[in-house]
Amino acid sequence: MTSRDVHDVLNLPSDHSGAPRPSKKQKTSAPRPNLKGLAREVQNLGGDNPIAIVPEVNFFKKRRFATRKPVAKWELKAFTNSARGDDGALVLRHWKRRTDDGAPPVESAQDGDGQQQRGGGEGTPASGKREEKPEDSAFAKYNVKVVVPHYTEDQYHSNLQNNDWTKEETDYLLELAKDFDLRWTLIWDRYDFTPKPPGSGGDAANGEDTSTAVVPAPKQRSMEDLKARYYEVAAKMMAVQKPAQYMTRPEFELYEMMQNFDPEQERKRKQFALNTLSRSKDEAREEESLLLEVKRILARTERFNEERRELYNRLDYPATDSDINSFKTSAGLQNLLQTLMSTDKNKKRKNIMPGEGVSPSNNSGVPNSAVSETNPANRRESIAASATSNNHHHHARRDSDARTPATPADPTPTSAAAAAASAANKKKGGGTQQQPERRKLTQQEEQVYGVSYHDRLGSGPTFRYEKINKLYSHKSGQQQLRITNALSELDLPPRLVMPTAAVTAQFEVLWGAVTALVDLRKMSDRLDGEIKIEEAKKAERDRAKGIAAEKEGEKEKGEGGGGGGDGAAAGDGEKAGEKTGEGGQTKEDGEKKRPGSSGSLSAAGHKRSASVLSAASDKSSKRQKK
Amino acid sequence: MAQQPLPSSVQPTDVYGGDEVSAIVLDPGYINTRAGFAGEEMPKQVLPSFYGHITSSNRDVFGDQAMYPRADFEIRNYMNRDSVVEDWDAATKIWEHALVNRLGIPRPTPPSKNGLNNKPKPAAEGEDVEMADEADLDETENYEKPMAENPLLMTEAAWNSPKQREKAIEICMENWACPAFWLSKTPVLAAFAAGKATALVLDVGGSNTSVTAIFDGMVLKRSVQRSPVGGVWLSSQIRSLFEASEPKVEVVPTFMVENKKPVEAGQPADARLKTFDFQISPSFRAYEEERVLKEFKESVVEVWRGPGRYLAPGNEDYAKNLPGRVFEMPDGSNQMWREQRFKVAEGMWDDNAAFPSATEEGKITKAQTVPGLIKAALDSIDVDVRPALLANVVVTGSTSLLPGFTDRLNHELTAMFPSVKVKLHAAGLSSERRFGAWIGGSILGSLGTFHQMWISRKEYEENGPGIVEKRCK
Repeated sequence: MTSRDVHDVLNLPSDHSGAPRPSKKQKTSAPRPNLKGLAREVQNLGGDNPIAIVPEVNFFKKRRFATRKPVAKWELKAFTNSARGDDGALVLRHWKRRTDDGAPPVESAQDGDGQQQRGGGEGTPASGKREEKPEDSAFAKYNVKVVVPHYTEDQYHSNLQNNDWTKEETDYLLELAKDFDLRWTLIWDRYDFTPKPPGSGGDAANGEDTSTAVVPAPKQRSMEDLKARYYEVAAKMMAVQKPAQYMTRPEFELYEMMQNFDPEQERKRKQFALNTLSRSKDEAREEESLLLEVKRILARTERFNEERRELYNRLDYPATDSDINSFKTSAGLQNLLQTLMSTDKNKKRKNIMPGEGVSPSNNSGVPNSAVSETNPANRRESIAASATSNNHHHHARRDSDARTPATPADPTPTSAAAAAASAANKKKGGGTQQQPERRKLTQQEEQVYGVSYHDRLGSGPTFRYEKINKLYSHKSGQQQLRITNALSELDLPPRLVMPTAAVTAQFEVLWGAVTALVDLRKMSDRLDGEIKIEEAKKAERDRAKGIAAEKEGEKEKGEGGGGGGDGAAAGDGEKAGEKTGEGGQTKEDGEKKRPGSSGSLSAAGHKRSASVLSAASDKSSKRQKK
Repeated sequence: MAQQPLPSSVQPTDVYGGDEVSAIVLDPGYINTRAGFAGEEMPKQVLPSFYGHITSSNRDVFGDQAMYPRADFEIRNYMNRDSVVEDWDAATKIWEHALVNRLGIPRPTPPSKNGLNNKPKPAAEGEDVEMADEADLDETENYEKPMAENPLLMTEAAWNSPKQREKAIEICMENWACPAFWLSKTPVLAAFAAGKATALVLDVGGSNTSVTAIFDGMVLKRSVQRSPVGGVWLSSQIRSLFEASEPKVEVVPTFMVENKKPVEAGQPADARLKTFDFQISPSFRAYEEERVLKEFKESVVEVWRGPGRYLAPGNEDYAKNLPGRVFEMPDGSNQMWREQRFKVAEGMWDDNAAFPSATEEGKITKAQTVPGLIKAALDSIDVDVRPALLANVVVTGSTSLLPGFTDRLNHELTAMFPSVKVKLHAAGLSSERRFGAWIGGSILGSLGTFHQMWISRKEYEENGPGIVEKRCK
């Protein structure tokens, strides 16, 4: 019977019929013709399923006579455990493979047996060669103990006093810590300190007998209290044994950690843990999903940032303010290229590679002329570069390279330019071939030799007073007038008599201060004027409404005068009297022509302010002179 | 002697840290007392903690085979319902019976008689020999006592009192002259049997159900919770069920039945009962009835698996449609039990579902149910260890073998602590569940590192029985 027959009988669909079966049949039928006689008959009895004929084997395994060893001998051996700390009082016995020293094992075992409780194998007179003591257990080495701080009475009194803890309780705590190997859960669980119990304190009383009859009720200590006290004691004893400055690093870390133990924080943490534990299922699920969400968001932002950075990198090119329309057409670009190439040729620059394409030197004609005056940094760089060496030409070129694709006339120092400049500086410092030849001058030497560094040098010689004159040229006529007025009040000629470098520099500073003052004065005058106008407007309004009585009008005028006074007070205290007089004057005619009054006021303010200013600047410039 | 399963070429200590010193593990419980050699996987001897007392001759008989109907025969238990030894005389006897008579611990022959010291001795050592002889005389006394070669590891309930513990070491040292002794708490050992040092042990035993948190191999005393909701209480619930069912089901113990005929389900029994010419004591009858109920528990009672309580709407109707189980009483009456078999055990989980009990101690409160116990145990310990404990819940005790018990427990725990990972560890093998504490003791007693822990005889002699409190924490 095969599985197929079974399927047939049970009317089961033969699931994997067909293919595997014929092949199997062929396989089984193949050896059949070889059988002869009885064997074939027997084979045929089996039908489809050949009978499994197992050859008879009348031996189990080949015996390996050659490698045969004598049976391993075991003996019941006594042993002690040194970790017990009882000097081998407990002798237990276990089966051990006999070692090859040939002694009869039984005897020693029996000896150990005989002396089991009364300790020691001294009663082995018969076999003198046996060692006296039973061996130590191999497991004794696993006995490890924590180190718990110890203190003497004196040490306790000098270092470890605590209002909340008695010495007895501290002793008890440390003993528990030792007993339970600092497992705080257990220490707290078993902590049951009853201060001086008369009867049951057998283990808690550590030889201390304080005859305090009045004992407080045992305090309920939280685990944090216990930890805090223990760490306090441990840290202090650590410091007593070894001052903090001599501690090794791990020691000190431990010390610090113990010192910084904060029971309150621990308590809060536990409270938090408790809340976490008591979350409901929904809350837990929500938190889980939120955490997932956060993770997803974080991952997304990271990717987003990556993409943005990439985008920025692509978008990052030197910006320009000037008109680039002329270069937008291909003809314009071609034109530019031509110009640049020609200037290169003019300069006969040899180290320019054709592959580098558009790379004009900065000190070549076209870009230089294109660079406007408002780009001092850029120009400074290029000048410095051209002044120093070929190397620097190279840097300068690269510097301008960065800009040229956008425009040769880049008016703003871009970051690329700054970077190139710094790179050039670095290179300078880094020491090219020429660099070491130039000695770096100290400040004193610079002064002695009159060496100075300049932002820019015009072509040809210039006079220093021209520089001064140039300062004036930017200002309007009125301003110029005021400035010269101020300077003349300081007894300074408008043109310096001896314009040495130092004097010019000093004059420039002074001049700057004066200009600033003038500007400020102008500003304040304008504000004064505006205030006056507003006040006048207000008065006008009030009068128009007809609500204001004459007194009020007077009051207003008083206010107006007061306002003037304020403005003057801001200027100088000396002129206060004069100014109030002026205020009074305006008050007189203020009634008749209101709008005009403000104008006169402001004019008066102007006059006054000029004199005040001159007085102030006089002082300041004198101070400067000194 | 314990077996040596490893090839002799390998020293056992290299492999699993074992070092067998032929220690004996004794695990007394309310229903059974287990005894065997440490290092073996099952206790060799399991005998009932109930024993027979023949009042006429004032004799105690131990073991199942002695429990047959006799005249003046009472059944007693040396333990009380708290799983604490009550009758120490009987306990000593029954333990000795288990260890010496049944376990067959050989009494050692004193060296003076074992023939090994009969060799001719050198004359120079004559004095030593005399001293040794004197020592031998002292020893002889001990050799008269059993178990002088075997350290004894005993178990106790987590709530055992110091007095009880001292008594235990006293018996071990004085009566049996053990070389070493150790007392370990059952939940700790059950956790060891499950391979855990930190665990929350739920022990659903015969007379008690207890929940104990074990941290690093030590009981957290504050966490110990127990309630009577165990096998015996379940039996009382079954009795209540029988009382309440219509018609009332009579429990006739097997020994009463002489002959019975098959009857249809729900029909009254057709059996002839035995008559005895002596009085059958109520205690014996109760003991025998308990055996019937035990069989009922084993074959019929099932725990409602959840989710939700049995009393939750819809669940009872669903339970009614589940296939029932037929139970035939020893007298031949039989009945199909359907939803009742769920309801009987539901009181362990839901105090509202418990059958009203006639006795005061049969009534339970919400805190005494299994979920209540676990909650109380966890609430009383440090919050930091709670997740670790919930991830290692060890279920032991034979009543936990009720079908569906662990499923229900899992449901209850995940409902109670939704945000913590709860993992139950319940041995699949029923004997491992029944003898969890013993197996743990067997593991502990055969560990090489444990031998430094034993309270040696010398320590006992120096410190007295009080040492057990100091050492076995």
